[in-house]
Amino acid sequence: MAKLVGSFAAGHAPNVARLWDTMSGESREWLTSHYDEMGRRLKALEPDVLIIHSTDHWVNFFLDNMPAFCVGIGAEHGGPPEPFMKPVFPHDALAGHADLGRHIVEYALEADFDPSYSMQLKLDHGMCVPVWRMELDPMPAIVPVFMNLVEKPFPTPKRCLAWGHMLRDAIEAYPEDLRVAVLGTGGLSHSIGETTMGWVDEPFDHACIELFKSASDEKFAADLTEMLEKTGNGGAELRAWIVAHAVAGSQGFDLIGYAPMPDMLIGCGVAEWTVAA
Amino acid sequence: MATDYWLNKLMFDLQGPDGKSRWAPENREATMANYPVSPEIRQALLDDDFAYLYPVTNAYLMRFFLLICGHDDDKSIEILSAIDVSEETAHG
Repeated sequence: MAKLVGSFAAGHAPNVARLWDTMSGESREWLTSHYDEMGRRLKALEPDVLIIHSTDHWVNFFLDNMPAFCVGIGAEHGGPPEPFMKPVFPHDALAGHADLGRHIVEYALEADFDPSYSMQLKLDHGMCVPVWRMELDPMPAIVPVFMNLVEKPFPTPKRCLAWGHMLRDAIEAYPEDLRVAVLGTGGLSHSIGETTMGWVDEPFDHACIELFKSASDEKFAADLTEMLEKTGNGGAELRAWIVAHAVAGSQGFDLIGYAPMPDMLIGCGVAEWTVAA
Repeated sequence: MATDYWLNKLMFDLQGPDGKSRWAPENREATMANYPVSPEIRQALLDDDFAYLYPVTNAYLMRFFLLICGHDDDKSIEILSAIDVSEETAHG
């Protein structure tokens, strides 16, 4: 049977790639050391498959069809199409795990979730910036799960918690012996294309970190639902962290690091969860 | 106000490799002809009237559109912060 061996979350931002050679030494050092540490921990777990949750940044979907959750079931996924990723990201395509992807869709439908699925997805900077900075080699097969976190209405935090718990059951019901890790990418606070663009909401970020440490699912969902309405739009991406939190059993949060990074336009967090048995 | 489908479709499509060329001043009219936006939106696009476009534009596409229009992050922040949004709420 498959086994969940680890769960992680980390921020992403176009500027990490766009400004890599020109950003301040302090920012580059922080990003390097913290993503390296996450990569070191992930590589030590020797995952066969990495399930990544992130928003789609208007690459795969538009307003004519906007799934709340879309599971990638392709044997291969396209690399990031954004021009700023081309100079830094070493892969034009990434191997998928079609069987596990399809299993997750089928399991979800049996569990009364209604995800969409796709055999043709491109993995944009949201997924590929953390993968790039962790320098995974060999690269595990990737099952991408895109969440709509760019245009309301969004899936609720409560639903994302439930999705994460369902995903854990789905992984453990997969019959093949696979070592599976989960990565949620996005957040923490940021404001993009809004009148508050550039705002890093540090009190929000620290409050989220406290919720991850100790809140029950009920408190977590209630508090975060309220908090998200008062911060910048990028805070919506915390939902990818919520999945990583829930899949690990809603406990065991270990903050690898947090830094407000105005030059990246994000409050940047990197974290791991100890997976509950 | 609701997100305008065709305005945002125009911005979405400008993400392609020829986006900057399609949005060069000499090509804007021809590019816009493919998108049935309202006369008011069409004029706002021609005038770089970002304040008019803001309430009907997805924020992530607005950020991209400002880049296509030649505005870096600092200039984009300056433009966006000058928009009066007394009725706006956060989007998280």
